[in-house]
Amino acid sequence: MSFKSAVITFPGSNCDRDALTYLKDLTNGEVLNIWHEETSIPAVDLIILPGGFSFGDYLRSGAMASKSNIIPEIIKHSESGKFLLGICNGFQILTEIGLLKGALIQNKNLKFLGKDCFIRKKHENKFNKFIKQDQVLQIPVAHNEGNFYCGEEDLKHLNDNGLIAFEYCKGSFSNSDENINGSINNIAGITNEQKNILGMMPHPERAYQSFHGSKDGKIIIESLLS
Amino acid sequence: MNDELILQHGLTLNEFQIIKDYLKRDLTMEELGIFSAMWNEHCCYKTSKKWLKKLPTNNDVVIQGPGENAGIIDLEDNDGVAFKIESHNHPSYIEPFNGSATGVGGILRDIFTMGARPIATLDSIRFGEINTDKTKYLLNGVVHGIGHYGNCIGIPNIGGESEFDSTYDFNNLVNAMAIGHVKKDAIFYSKPKTIGGLIVYIGSKTGKDGIHGASMASDVFSENDEDDKRPSVQVGDPFMEKLLMEGCLELMSSGLIESMQDMGAAGITSSSVEMASKGNVGVLIDLDKIPLRQPLSPYEILLSESQERMLAVIEKDNDTKVREILKKWQIDYEVIGEITDSKNVVFTSKNKQVVNLPVNIIVDDAPEYDREFYLPRKRNKKDFDCTHLNLEKMINNLFDNLNYLDKSWIYNQYDSTVMGDTVKEPGQSTGIIKLHDSQKVIGATTDCNPLYIRINPELGMIYTVVEAYRNLISSNIKPIAITNNLNFASPLDPNIMGEIVLSINGLKKSASKLNTPIVSGNVSLYNQTNDLPINPTPVIGMVGSNLNINKIISNKFQNDGDIIVSIGESLGYLNSPYFLKDQKITREINSFNELEDIDLENEILTANSIMYLADNKLIQSCNDVFRGGIFMSLIKMIEKDYGFTVELPNKFDLFCEYRAGYIITVKEDELSKVCNYLSKNNVSHSNIGLVSNETIKINSKVFDYFEIKGKYLDNFEKIIN
Repeated sequence: MSFKSAVITFPGSNCDRDALTYLKDLTNGEVLNIWHEETSIPAVDLIILPGGFSFGDYLRSGAMASKSNIIPEIIKHSESGKFLLGICNGFQILTEIGLLKGALIQNKNLKFLGKDCFIRKKHENKFNKFIKQDQVLQIPVAHNEGNFYCGEEDLKHLNDNGLIAFEYCKGSFSNSDENINGSINNIAGITNEQKNILGMMPHPERAYQSFHGSKDGKIIIESLLS
Repeated sequence: MNDELILQHGLTLNEFQIIKDYLKRDLTMEELGIFSAMWNEHCCYKTSKKWLKKLPTNNDVVIQGPGENAGIIDLEDNDGVAFKIESHNHPSYIEPFNGSATGVGGILRDIFTMGARPIATLDSIRFGEINTDKTKYLLNGVVHGIGHYGNCIGIPNIGGESEFDSTYDFNNLVNAMAIGHVKKDAIFYSKPKTIGGLIVYIGSKTGKDGIHGASMASDVFSENDEDDKRPSVQVGDPFMEKLLMEGCLELMSSGLIESMQDMGAAGITSSSVEMASKGNVGVLIDLDKIPLRQPLSPYEILLSESQERMLAVIEKDNDTKVREILKKWQIDYEVIGEITDSKNVVFTSKNKQVVNLPVNIIVDDAPEYDREFYLPRKRNKKDFDCTHLNLEKMINNLFDNLNYLDKSWIYNQYDSTVMGDTVKEPGQSTGIIKLHDSQKVIGATTDCNPLYIRINPELGMIYTVVEAYRNLISSNIKPIAITNNLNFASPLDPNIMGEIVLSINGLKKSASKLNTPIVSGNVSLYNQTNDLPINPTPVIGMVGSNLNINKIISNKFQNDGDIIVSIGESLGYLNSPYFLKDQKITREINSFNELEDIDLENEILTANSIMYLADNKLIQSCNDVFRGGIFMSLIKMIEKDYGFTVELPNKFDLFCEYRAGYIITVKEDELSKVCNYLSKNNVSHSNIGLVSNETIKINSKVFDYFEIKGKYLDNFEKIIN
């Protein structure tokens, strides 16, 4: 059966087209684009909440989007065990809804950060299972609020239950940073307990074609398709 | 009306008399405001028009030249590329964050007004010496503003340039460029077609911000101006612009719009006058219908520069459909008037005409000046002693100078990969973006060499065009066309006027020869504070393409052991102004030698040879040689942990500027093939060394690789903090 997926567009989403292209190129299945005011979503295997500045980041990144009409449907989708991936602003929205622990606060240097970063997998899940344990992925980040923070209890919970999907690490050559934005324990991406929801700050949809300079972002969809 | 009021509106008494003679009556305050906005340099180019007319603006790939919101070039099939550069200098000095942010917003609107989806931005920014808190504040604010707007709306920044020089201490420059992709059969123009068509207002509500912004942009600053003029700076909202952009593009692709014009400088006044003039029609607009943020007088409404607003013309039957689409995007929409056959611009308020002016007097009768100008004096030949300079000293002089250092502190604050089509990000000689769903790529660069232009405006301008040309060639991008942003001090000074006239002449000569017409542009004059003029800074943005993404070459070293070949000839240090200035030999403008003439035939020949070698996959990487010479070119080619081992008979040639200068790297077993081809085509070249891992070795002297690389990458942030 072919893999069916959807991308949600909020006002101010700006990586929705990128996510649609990423899914179309890599899944060979049907890909839907759904407007945030819709109140139903057809049955799909994966939903992506894309990056961007939903609602202009007014109030707090992701806060307004987490109250959109579509959100109850997203929660329903995730409760059925299907995959939900939040990238960048999508990750922020997932923490605002409460589907993922913690919060994304402003980068430690108080500046927007747009550059390639290096990540590796910490705990295995269906999104990252094809990644080898010592493999370093090169994927761009572009965020102002990408500094993952949570309380000690939550951090212990994430660690004890193997919910830390990705952590930032050093690249293979000199002058590459490890912790680019101040995230606690270098966390770049986490899952829920059922491990069907992933939130991550790096943008895999910007690193999968030859001209991107890195194809490392492919592996997430490849892992999910298997 | 008293003289003081007229002068306050930026009009000369003579200009005012011309208007009165034509109208044979007194003006209303609103009408005075309109002339103030439309007859300043920013809108009518009254000083520069005579000279700009001489520029080449057309060839067989130009679809739209100057005169519309942006220029458009043909990229074969149904693909067109729209682009333009525009300045936001004065606002960015008064309020750096909002001034630069709205600069980006304004140029993006120019692009999508034409039916093009913006796909990239570039920024050319100049500041004073970094040792003052003021410059640091401006740098931080400007970079933050550019990033904030572009990141939020989601258009990648793919390149640009920055320069630090004391002439910008009190007058920084912010020029923003945008590029859009348009289908050739879906281009929109500002010309309305139907008499009786509805004029509609789309976008943010109108407020008090930016009133008299356009006339401020054509004014000289005095010392205590900043606080007084701050209310003239517009405030931008990129989220609103994102909605406006998506809404407008959806309207255009649904065929519901007849024509569109963005409300830029001088807001509703200039956009409506522009529409009327293009269509040779009249407009009737009811100012009471304009969506307002706060109570405003008709005068204020006419001159407000509130951001994120569009004016469009639609057919009456489409009103409901347009309203529905814009409601989805939560955008204000109002029918505010109609196109008439009167050829007059009429604004009403409270059922009374407040403005009734013939379009032609505002546009066609706008003043055009032939200002006096002086030619620069001949220079005497001078010799300089550089014997005290050794390699270490020369390298350190460069690495203590912001202009030579890695600028990732700036561009890491920009999102350069959003939209997923970025091929080359900032920090390389060319920014490159792929057309979505296509194998075609567009390359772009912005350049200016103010020191060259100060020494010799005509020749210096040719060097600037040539630098941009080399930037594109070094990625195997074929240069196509130019957009220009002419930043100068006051044209009332005949010396400055001479710089304007001659540099436009240099632009004309080089653009004609290189077959890269000027398709859009902007003029920013009066860039001076009191008596301190900026260096002449005519920035150009050059755009080119390669129809096959696989033919692009890297600007970074690719393989350990590749041979480094230098192409071109050194100008020698006596003829390299940046060498003399930055190696601290001299900084007095009158002391520099005359610029060496530049052989454009040779530039073309060399460029064609490089493109041939690149097409045949014989070049591993390439970079152009300009300020900082071969040394800086090599440093910029460092990637991962690659370095270089080179030998040059004359150590100064490592740092001098070059004729047709490039560095290429080639595989050892392809070297003879490459050299034979270059020799056969009379391209001067020499094998100067090889790419070597974790090594920087110059004329047998070994440098600490990690120290050199560290200085290049980290010194910028150290110096500015």
